[in-house]
Amino acid sequence: MDDRWFECVKSAEKSALVQGNTKKVHYHFENGREMVEEYNLDTNVLSRRAWKINNEMGGEGDWDIEVGDPMPAGLKASNDLISEDANSPFITRRVTKRNLEWRIRNLPYPVDIYSVTADEEGRCITVRTSNKKYFKKIDVPELRRCKLLPEQDKITFNHKFNTLIITYAKPTELVEMEKAIYEMVKEVQPQRMASGCPDVNECKPS
Amino acid sequence: MAVAAAAKVQEVREITRIERIGAHSHIRGLGLNDSLEARNVSQGMVGQMSARRAAGIVLQMVKEGRIAGRAVLLAGQPGTGKTAIANALASSLGADTPFTSMAGSEIFSLEMSKTEALTQAIRKSIGVRIKEESEIIEGEVVEVQIERPATGEGNKVGKLILKTTDMETVYDLGGKMIDSILKEKVQSGDVITIDKATGKITRLGRSFTRARDYDATGQQTRFVQCPEGELQKRKEVVHTVTLHEIDVINSRTHGFLALFSGDTGEIKPEVREQINGKVAEWREEGKAEIIPGVLFIDEVHMLDIECFSYLNRALENEMAPIVMMATNRGVTRIRGTNYKSPHGIPLDLLDRLIIVPTTPYEEKELKEILSIRCEEEDCQLSDDALTVLTKIALETSLRYGIQLITTSSLISRKRKAPEVEVEDIKRAYELFFDEGRSVQFLKEYQQEFMFNESSVSDDADMDIN
Repeated sequence: MDDRWFECVKSAEKSALVQGNTKKVHYHFENGREMVEEYNLDTNVLSRRAWKINNEMGGEGDWDIEVGDPMPAGLKASNDLISEDANSPFITRRVTKRNLEWRIRNLPYPVDIYSVTADEEGRCITVRTSNKKYFKKIDVPELRRCKLLPEQDKITFNHKFNTLIITYAKPTELVEMEKAIYEMVKEVQPQRMASGCPDVNECKPS
Repeated sequence: MAVAAAAKVQEVREITRIERIGAHSHIRGLGLNDSLEARNVSQGMVGQMSARRAAGIVLQMVKEGRIAGRAVLLAGQPGTGKTAIANALASSLGADTPFTSMAGSEIFSLEMSKTEALTQAIRKSIGVRIKEESEIIEGEVVEVQIERPATGEGNKVGKLILKTTDMETVYDLGGKMIDSILKEKVQSGDVITIDKATGKITRLGRSFTRARDYDATGQQTRFVQCPEGELQKRKEVVHTVTLHEIDVINSRTHGFLALFSGDTGEIKPEVREQINGKVAEWREEGKAEIIPGVLFIDEVHMLDIECFSYLNRALENEMAPIVMMATNRGVTRIRGTNYKSPHGIPLDLLDRLIIVPTTPYEEKELKEILSIRCEEEDCQLSDDALTVLTKIALETSLRYGIQLITTSSLISRKRKAPEVEVEDIKRAYELFFDEGRSVQFLKEYQQEFMFNESSVSDDADMDIN
């Protein structure tokens, strides 16, 4: 297990908030970057992780969603320029206890069209279609943080409801690191509202 | 049937809208040789040798970029090519150097103060070249579909299908993007890159697979391979933004959208100070480079005394651009005061200017300009007609002479003549009055016009202010 990422998270300034059964943790790293994680308190599994994009020019940056559903299009500021068609494929990430998962929605082709390979050189997972309609190099930041290369025999994929689901079994190093980080997250005390309410939603304005 | 015809008319209009002929569209550069000596007739410029040479030296100064805050005044009678020289300077500057052109009267707005408008104009003329990671779409165009709503009103909708050797994606286009795609004349088979954040389109060439589509492709057509892999990439690109653009991005939360709507409003001085600090920091780190540009203020006598005193100070800033001004006034009142001064500019500012005079054209030069304009406006003139037209331009004004080109060409086309003859020019000359004859006419028939009782003595009030 490589310690760099672990140290980074450890030294980051952390604050947390509990809402229902999710714990939201905000990290402020030493290099100025910001990250937000959401943990499901029932399963202790990460449900969302997002990075703040720092715009060089200044101004309000957007969020880059690493894990979890992408931001709905309606919430994004559209700039009247160019955007993918609503029916074009898009990728979402999910993490379970044992697996890393990717779902590529709006892919109508049958399962034998796809090939999903581990690209050790590019440290990513490559999705190809034999009809040359879709191609994607999927970066796996978790593996990068553990200094591991993607392995072909950990990849499985199937196709259902217009969606290609790719599953990658978590290597033991990653599981251990996530466990260690979650121990750290547990220790971060959730902030209380000024009135002493533990949950924002429970506060009843008089 | 009728609908189809209407659609056709729309299409024609769309094209002409892009390629219209403006008053200075024949100018492609200053027409100087390597030692900055003006060639007599070159790049659409004729005569005005010393003024053009002076502009060439200013150009050199801008390109070296070391001297800040110099100001040049182009002074000369109407129609002696002041704006033409400024336009020529702009086109020889290159795409990366900012050139802001404004008229003196533009700064008077209810939405922002005069000095704010001037500050914005000054900051628009300073470029910052910066390396930034940006989202780029790179691919071969499969199809461009642009549809107008059947009623002819409302937003256009467009789709762009792009592919690489491995994938294909459909993109929705917004209004701005449709315009720039029409302007760039993007068609299927082109290999292009689009900067997702700014919408800038770069044409890389045509795909090899389309090499045999046309027999007659231009000499400059470059054939390139269809790109590989993903359509969308993150690439480090170097681009030039102006200080004003950075100001706007930082001035409000959804800043950069305001650039498109044009609704920028006033910007707080603290924001500007912060940006200046940041840019200086980037410069020290070697991340960015400052590109001072040119601010051109036409009709500079329309500025008032406050603007002039503001300019005095603004020119002393080391971030100031080269300011070029043009005026056609002689000794006249400074706007906002009762003092008179040469060119309507206070003496202390005049002292900071280097003044470049332009002189009236000679007959030979007028003829040259008129024949260049004929070519630009796509009109065939016979030699006699050109001589007559030159005479007219000499006696009235160059602008009036140029006005007669297209009008007489339309007259000649009515009688299905291949060329414009003297009689067409005569006919146009009779149909359209020049300024002198119009005044003459008014003097003769003054009595029959409305409100003729009012004396002409309050002429002075009709002057500026």
